[in-house]
Amino acid sequence: MRLSLREVSLNFGGVRALDGVSFDVEPGSVHAVIGPNGAGKSSCFNAVCGIYAVGGSIRLGDRELTGLPPHVVAGLGVARAFQNIALGGADTVLDNLMVARHHLTGAGFVSAGLGLRRVRREEHRHRLRVTEIAEFSGLADVLDTPVAELSYGDRKRVEFARALAMEPRVLLLDEPVAGMTYHEKAATVALIRETREVLGVSVVLVEHDMPLVMGLADRITVLDFGRVIADGPPAHVREHPDVLRAYLGAHP
Amino acid sequence: MSRPTSKVTRYAGTAAALLLLLAMPYYLDAFWLQVGAFVMAAIIGAIGLTVLVGSAGQLSLAHAFFLAVGAYGYAFLAGEPGAGSAGTTLSGPGLPTTVAALLAVALAGAAGLAFSPVAGRLHGLYLGVASLGLVFLGQHVLFNARPVTGGFNGRPIPELSVLGFELTGDEPDLVLLGVPFGARERLWYMALLCAVAAYVVAGRIVRGRPGRALRLMRQNPIAAASMGVPLRRYRAGAFVFSAMYAGVAGILIALTARRVVPDHFGLVLSVEYLAMVVIGGLGSVRGAAVGAAFITGTPLVLSHYGDAIGVFARPGEDGIDAATAVRLLYGAAIVAFVIGSAQKGRPHAITITMDRARRALPGVSRRRLQRQGR
Ligand SMILES: Nc1ncnc2c1ncn2[C@@H]1O[C@H](COP(=O)(O)OP(=O)(O)OP(=O)(O)O)[C@@H](O)[C@H]1O
Ligand SMILES: [Mg+2]
Repeated sequence: MRLSLREVSLNFGGVRALDGVSFDVEPGSVHAVIGPNGAGKSSCFNAVCGIYAVGGSIRLGDRELTGLPPHVVAGLGVARAFQNIALGGADTVLDNLMVARHHLTGAGFVSAGLGLRRVRREEHRHRLRVTEIAEFSGLADVLDTPVAELSYGDRKRVEFARALAMEPRVLLLDEPVAGMTYHEKAATVALIRETREVLGVSVVLVEHDMPLVMGLADRITVLDFGRVIADGPPAHVREHPDVLRAYLGAHP
Repeated sequence: MSRPTSKVTRYAGTAAALLLLLAMPYYLDAFWLQVGAFVMAAIIGAIGLTVLVGSAGQLSLAHAFFLAVGAYGYAFLAGEPGAGSAGTTLSGPGLPTTVAALLAVALAGAAGLAFSPVAGRLHGLYLGVASLGLVFLGQHVLFNARPVTGGFNGRPIPELSVLGFELTGDEPDLVLLGVPFGARERLWYMALLCAVAAYVVAGRIVRGRPGRALRLMRQNPIAAASMGVPLRRYRAGAFVFSAMYAGVAGILIALTARRVVPDHFGLVLSVEYLAMVVIGGLGSVRGAAVGAAFITGTPLVLSHYGDAIGVFARPGEDGIDAATAVRLLYGAAIVAFVIGSAQKGRPHAITITMDRARRALPGVSRRRLQRQGR
């Protein structure tokens, strides 16, 4: 399903975090959003997820997302892995992944409290699926470990797996390899490739590691001060004078 | 993952504890049974609060208010019109007592729901302060709505009965295995049943889908919303849940005390419940139960035996009387517990202390064995 942003804008006081941002994420593609610090990449994700009210239009397929609250957007198949790890620290990896099933499950206070058979079956079924996803993400060994006891790289990986466990159509990854070791990075890159191939989801990737982005993305959108300064396949973006200027401060 | 053997021992332990609790009325006198009923009522109330404060992260100082709604709701709905003390005239629809009890719980839930526009928008300290208003509102109503509440002197509590069998009274006579089952014995069983049910239900909720959603909501609301958790609904849901648990607890307190008075449901009670869930470890159902037993049971027991110990001043004499000594003692104990858990950087004060004690036990007995061997 295509994700399209049209003229999306967002202000924080005097700061224009997003200024008429438009781009399309083709179904099943890896689409990178890059730009210097403070360019508005995370704000872009926040806009898509419905965290902030924005101007313009954001559509998933033919559903309009702007104006919807975050939990409804999640239910429509948009999943997000956060730049700053946003997990439940005291809870186990399994519990953290199970939260991602929230929009796919239905047990409420009453039915869970009564321990209805329907609830126990649902729990069991989703636990199996979540365990599969954990194995796929290389987290099988730490399922019962509290997240707070994991290494930084592993927590990043849980963040990724949790987004995956939402069974999304569009996966928003905000700097998924930041702070990882060389080997952890390689594993995550392989994981992103596999996710796209096996599950067929579209991936929107925010990342500062240029070689990684150039190797992974089908298309790249470059933001600077909240504006799109370039958009196209990696080869096109790499040569773009505005991009060179934004990154290197070079003058033409 | 727990090994099957440890599961078996855990089940065996639970079964043994339950059997012990079931057998208590054969061994304990009326005083202890009454303490037990108060403790079990507090356990229910504290479990409701720990889910709200510990899991959902919604600080509430309104617990005394919801306890009062349960207690007075039952007293009024089951009460007959008549003359109260100090010249007040009491009104009351005189509903069948079981209906009155269910309605009183529903009423507490409805009060929680009515507060949920506030509870859904605020969190943390802000909600704590806002919820404080409910306690003051409650106190005002309890003292002044005399036909309903009986005012300063409160209202008597009708016995709870099912089809003519009093669950909390002496009618009709019942003797089991040579022991007369009077009001206190029956109350003990009813309170036990309610407490066990409340414990099991809350445990399932906390471990299940709602509990996971609440905990992530506490730690990172934006992440929870992005996972599909409707924040306002869950904040409100946690409030209603905790209000209904408070309602049940309030009814049990009323049935045990046999009379409700407004003074009991002041801010101090709210703070006591917060203390229960804090020393038990926020969010821990087991901890809340232990904390409730400690905070409720200790003062009752100590003031009962205070006279026997004989170091305390009698009422009217100078010096520290038993009730004051109790407050000092358990105040100190709370501080000790909280410091102990804060230093460990872990929240489960009492349960950790218990676990540590259990782990230490084999060592102690080993040392004792060595000493005997020598
Ligand atoms: N909640 C907020 N309140 C105020 N200003 C904000 C907020 N969130 C972001 N901003 C501002 O909006 C701009 C864009 O921030 P954003 O986090 O989207 O950048 P980014 O491209 O993700 O940067 P980084 O690479 O450092 O993660 C920045 O100037 C930032 O200070
Ligand atoms: Mg960012």
